Amino acid sequence: MQLSLLPQDDGVTIRVEEKRLDAAVALAFKDKVRSLVAHGGARIALDLSPVDFMDSSGLGAVIAIFKSMPAGRSLVLAGLSPNVERVFRLTRMDKVMTIIPGPQAVDHSRPTWHDRER
Amino acid sequence: MTAETLSLRLHRPPVIRRPMLHRIFRADPMTVRHALSFLRERFDGSAGEEVIFRVELALAEILNNICQHGGEGAAERPDGRSHAPLIHLCVIRHVEGIACAVTDDGIPLPDHCLGAHILPCAPPADERSALPEGGFGWFLIQDLTASLSYFREGRRNFLAFIVPLGEATSGDQFSPNCSG
Repeated sequence: MQLSLLPQDDGVTIRVEEKRLDAAVALAFKDKVRSLVAHGGARIALDLSPVDFMDSSGLGAVIAIFKSMPAGRSLVLAGLSPNVERVFRLTRMDKVMTIIPGPQAVDHSRPTWHDRER
Repeated sequence: MTAETLSLRLHRPPVIRRPMLHRIFRADPMTVRHALSFLRERFDGSAGEEVIFRVELALAEILNNICQHGGEGAAERPDGRSHAPLIHLCVIRHVEGIACAVTDDGIPLPDHCLGAHILPCAPPADERSALPEGGFGWFLIQDLTASLSYFREGRRNFLAFIVPLGEATSGDQFSPNCSG
């Protein structure tokens, strides 16, 4: 389970460096992102652009992250591929969560912190 | 080759690929992932992108369900691990759709799985903590597939369905809230 962290002015972008957000990684994904959210600032953007397949385990993990956001912090989803967007739409979770179109802008002049599961 | 025959060849309609797939594997999230990746590779281009997506997602939900629940109540093996069901997966591109059959030797599928499933209720916007984190699996399976059928014979479950090629984008027939 690999994530990249990109500091932003108002928070942080967490980029999911996985092609599949499925039952094989859902738990590790949820735990890792939740631990990062604790230090993330007011606005957390979850950039899913590398993900081209997500099942209900992956969706459940994203919902769990959304539910556990501390008060005063927001979570937005960015970079949804057509397959990932379809899962949000089929389950109507696109009406509940904030989804911004297009990939989250990546500023390569800033340091990126890579985090790889042991 | 004359210019005329070359021209004819270039204008020949593309041959429609009708791939098939048969895989046998132990129920485990990683073996499921490998089987689905192989499916995507093999069926790529044989139907519309959304049709392939529907097959992949429906199978993911069915196979994950077998991984999670199929081995429940099974006797432990000598090495202390529980018995992971053995899955047979068969997928065929037919003229009108993609037909899938999944069999496994896990526990019988509970009756309620095949009953009507509606989308888990989304609470009002200010009640984030009440959002459902699960319960989407059988809703998705039923929403994505047609002619879903099940029977049990001996020690095996048999589940079959089809994803039609002409399926319109769905997900609109269920209400997003509890009133529906």
